Amino acid sequence: MIKDCKIIKDLPSGGQKNVQLAEHPEIGLVVIKRGEIKSFTSLERIKREIELLSVLKSEFYPQQYHFNIDIKTKEFEIVEDYIEGASLRESMKSFATVEQIFTLLLSLIDGLSIIWELNIVHRDLKPENIIIRKNGNPCIIDLGIARFLDLEALTKTIAPIGPCTPIYAAPEQLTNNKNVIDPRTDFFCLGIISMEMFLGVHPFDGKYLENQFSIVENILQDNYLLETRHVNRDERMVELAAKTLQLQPYNRFRNYIQLQSFLIKHL
Amino acid sequence: MKVYHQTGFRQNWNIESFEQGVGDGLIYSPVNLDADKLLLLDGHLKRTGFIDPQLYLLNEAKGTLDTYPYFPGNIKPDYSTPDLDNSNVLLAQLCIDFQLKNDFEYIIIPTRYYADNPTTYFAQTSDYFVIPFCDFIKNKGIRKKILLSVIVKAIMLSDEEKRNEALNWITGQNVDGVYLIFEDNSATKQIKDFEFLFNSLLFIQILKNNGMEVHLGYNNTEALLFSIAMPDSVTIGSFENLRSFGIKRFQDIENGPMRGPRARLYSSQLIQWVDYQYIGAFKKLISDYENLFDDSEFKPLMFKPEFNWHFLKSEPYKHYFFVFNRQIKSLPESQTDRIENIKIQIKNAVNLFRKIEDSVLLDENSDGSHLPTWFNAVNAFQKEIK
Repeated sequence: MIKDCKIIKDLPSGGQKNVQLAEHPEIGLVVIKRGEIKSFTSLERIKREIELLSVLKSEFYPQQYHFNIDIKTKEFEIVEDYIEGASLRESMKSFATVEQIFTLLLSLIDGLSIIWELNIVHRDLKPENIIIRKNGNPCIIDLGIARFLDLEALTKTIAPIGPCTPIYAAPEQLTNNKNVIDPRTDFFCLGIISMEMFLGVHPFDGKYLENQFSIVENILQDNYLLETRHVNRDERMVELAAKTLQLQPYNRFRNYIQLQSFLIKHL
Repeated sequence: MKVYHQTGFRQNWNIESFEQGVGDGLIYSPVNLDADKLLLLDGHLKRTGFIDPQLYLLNEAKGTLDTYPYFPGNIKPDYSTPDLDNSNVLLAQLCIDFQLKNDFEYIIIPTRYYADNPTTYFAQTSDYFVIPFCDFIKNKGIRKKILLSVIVKAIMLSDEEKRNEALNWITGQNVDGVYLIFEDNSATKQIKDFEFLFNSLLFIQILKNNGMEVHLGYNNTEALLFSIAMPDSVTIGSFENLRSFGIKRFQDIENGPMRGPRARLYSSQLIQWVDYQYIGAFKKLISDYENLFDDSEFKPLMFKPEFNWHFLKSEPYKHYFFVFNRQIKSLPESQTDRIENIKIQIKNAVNLFRKIEDSVLLDENSDGSHLPTWFNAVNAFQKEIK
């Protein structure tokens, strides 16, 4: 399939992947991802992501057209949908009011609940992994480190930190407390993203909290911002933060139905 | 808040009491009731209650436990922990089928009992019980509410890490609520451990904050104290082993000489079971002593001189069911009001004991000495949830 594609340009790549934008004569714009399989664990993660995306078939996730592993070169290649739109990072300013944030969150929950119902936790939610399509709907990308709760964990217990993007990670990811990972881990990440949209700055950033700690240290100490010099606190956001940005998952929303109900009630 | 009868030995007392309108339902005990007899009980005795499957010790055939189709020894002789790897699905199916046949209000997921607190406890409970039970319930489209049995050991209350682990695990399960049993290892008849009581209250409150139903098992009069954390139900039970969880009740040990406790009578004003031997002293030394005890249809008989007090007589227990149920049912609905109400009840009881002790001295299991600790636990809890 790849040989039918015409490469247009390189795209920003994450991890060990090489990512290119290409055009397929029948499908149109596609993304080609290539990379090296460095270990059994990375192979297993890729296989899990591929199998998951092949069954999701939802506009909340990119559709996949092709997957291949070359045993000789230990390389993989994936062809998937090119999601036209801008990442949430690029379009964050369009989501500044509580109403806009809650509406986007409800959409994200519609999408994420599909994997949560399958006992899968995304574990890498961040503005870069959410693409806002031209129709305004979000598309969630990069399930590369998703945790499949029904399958054997791939993270070593002795690892000091679990797979994550540290500044968007829940405390249990940062401490590799993998027995605690469940959808409430994603709620924490959604809490960070929501507060960042609202405040315009990362809620755990020591620079704005006026302390000397790094974002990760502030996450682990549960120090976060509720307002800045430019943005006044809003009680709905305070409540959302209080039920998502908690060190212990049992102090967060228990399930997505509760989170959804909260958002609908306050919208 | 509902009141369930925690049944066991002499469960007929509970059934008779329930049929007279005391309590909201019954929790059945397989070690004390043959499975066929339970199946034959009238539906109205089961529709508002549930069964405690009692798989605490897996293969201990105590009493009538082996008459139950899901009893592991009936699945395979000499059933042991490794057998759970192969037969947890079958066990779940048999246990749920039995619960459905009886048409109980809830489906209960059992738990095992460990003397210590193994690090694999939660993972194993998920693998052996929670997942197979929930999968079976989902696949069969069963709509009854599911309660997860949890024995809260003292260390899960006192140790922050263990407490977090327990709460994260419980709240992470896809169930409607919990059948929660606090294991109390105290030597006294009433719990007088401030940390234990305060942490138990917080534990319940956190589960309620998570929107879970909380049904407390094996309650003694502490049910009154626990009520301030707004559980969905508490229990009334007759003998002491039904008012405090102990694993001995499920161990098939040779019967030694039976050691019966002294008969006691509950007073809602004193919030205390009082040793019957003091009633003689009360009679001689306190003019209105009868008023210390609640009126019930059993009271006149118990206060007759010829009443032969014995811990196996039904009247003191039926009296307790009636009185304690009424005491629980008269609590205010709102948490704020309930906390204030309990504080007043405790203070009133303390004052009454002061008056009594002008004339009669009581021992530590009858003297209300748990009440100051209760009061402090209520105050600390009230401050914590503000």
